[in-house]
Amino acid sequence: MNNTPSILDTTVVGQILDQAVKDVFDTMLSMNSLLIWSSPEIVKKSDSIDPAESLISDMAIHNMIVVGTVGFVGEVNGLIYLYVDLPFATKITQKLLQIDLDALGEDADGAVNDAIGEITNMVVGVFKNKLCDQGYPCRLTIPSILRGTDISVEPVGYAHRRIYKFDIAGSLLTTDVVMKFGD
Amino acid sequence: MRNKILTVDDSKTVRIIVKKVFRDFDCEVLEAANGVEGLAMASKHVPDLILLDVTMPVMDGVEMLTKLKSDAALKAIPVMMLTAEGGREQVLKIAKIGVRDYIVKPFKEDVLLDKVNRIIEMRPAGEAPDKTKSINDSADILVVELAQAIIDQIKDGLKHTPWKVNGVQTIGEAIDFCARSNVDLIMLGLNLPMEAAFNLFRMLRAGTKTKSTPIFGLVVKTETGLQQQAQNTGFNGIITKPIDFNELEAKAAKAMNLDTSTRYFSVNKDHLLITLPETLSNLAVLEINQYLKKKASEAVEVGMNKAIIDAHKLANCDMVSIKMLMDAMQVCNDLSMRNALVGNPRLSTEAKGFEDTKNWVFHESIDAAMASMVKTPLVALAT
Repeated sequence: MNNTPSILDTTVVGQILDQAVKDVFDTMLSMNSLLIWSSPEIVKKSDSIDPAESLISDMAIHNMIVVGTVGFVGEVNGLIYLYVDLPFATKITQKLLQIDLDALGEDADGAVNDAIGEITNMVVGVFKNKLCDQGYPCRLTIPSILRGTDISVEPVGYAHRRIYKFDIAGSLLTTDVVMKFGD
Repeated sequence: MRNKILTVDDSKTVRIIVKKVFRDFDCEVLEAANGVEGLAMASKHVPDLILLDVTMPVMDGVEMLTKLKSDAALKAIPVMMLTAEGGREQVLKIAKIGVRDYIVKPFKEDVLLDKVNRIIEMRPAGEAPDKTKSINDSADILVVELAQAIIDQIKDGLKHTPWKVNGVQTIGEAIDFCARSNVDLIMLGLNLPMEAAFNLFRMLRAGTKTKSTPIFGLVVKTETGLQQQAQNTGFNGIITKPIDFNELEAKAAKAMNLDTSTRYFSVNKDHLLITLPETLSNLAVLEINQYLKKKASEAVEVGMNKAIIDAHKLANCDMVSIKMLMDAMQVCNDLSMRNALVGNPRLSTEAKGFEDTKNWVFHESIDAAMASMVKTPLVALAT
């Protein structure tokens, strides 16, 4: 079936995501973002070696990282992962809440997780609202968070996947967009 | 009176940001992490505004909003959506249920403050609040209604209050009246021709003198479309015709921020007297619960250790009445206040029919209840 909707065009997805990242980081954190790299479209085929593997391992993140995930379900289904390293996640949290995280003690990790979850929620929200307005109604799922060292997340199954990297005030934000139309 | 804002969002980050936005204002920010908690907090505190997210675990914002709008006691609370769900269809669907405003995340803090300020007047923290008026103080009410009979009905229905009801039949008269008087509450007949009530509403909200004056819509009970339109426009309440004057009085008192405690709480010969009305409407229950602990604590603080719960006017011993009486007794017992019940013979007979109330003793008069406490210590709560 070759009648791929235009929304699946890599450039269009990149533009929508770029705008979403800009909106959220500028509005909530007064930080400028710049899209610095985007992968080609990766279409997974059965029995093939995952072509995303090399891209994921290429991610310049080998520290403790925080990964926020929010999905969207409806006419188009998908997941967007936001990868940031812990120092950047901490910076985002402190700026967002305007509090000293050291003062939170044991609650600091929870605050960082929640802040990254909410930033992911907003980025994916702007992204999926654009999809809705272009005729692909869908709804957001609840954010989830993963933390660890030298990790990457590989979706179980996907149809179209793209990876984008952003420079945000000198820090790196890596986004992994997985989309599937219909069932 | 201090504004109460309830923020319902599963993200603690958003709840912290909301608290931060309002920290310099005389305002209490209440928090709930999902729709179930949100409904419970709304019932308990009756906030002046709810900020509501959509996607949440346990119960989402759409379900909470639907339940809120179908609850007679809560449906007038203005709701502002604060959510990342901003697709056109979703916004329209939610708007139809009834929200005052819609902010799509990400959001600027000053935009949130500005939009909230359009719904409830935010006073900077530390600024001396206006002296709280009581239900016994005079107030000026303006009724703008085509039918003189309705104006007369309202005058008659509120004649036992110290409020002055003024009636006019045209927009021009209403504008003139508001220009020369300080009006405490305005009631607009929504059936004025050419959507005049809604236009007048907008003019009043734009005017310096009337921008914070509570405005009620007056409409026939079956005109649900107009009621919805009024709620979405920002009317502070809806009064349906035929008018229930108990409801009108309670809603008017709340909208004018009047201290209504004197209606239920007084002092009689060193006893705290808690007087229940003939009918315990949802609003009456909310009002009594709002003051119950505070008034009992104040009584104990000045050395009063006895309370009379006067239920002789109560028409029925139903579940609402039983719960109210139990709550009142419980608060007294928690504060080690001796307490006794006053009731009519019918109430006394009906109470014997319930397991929880069969041992309750209702005295015939306040004097008899006072006398009983000389010999009897605490009223035992049936378990």
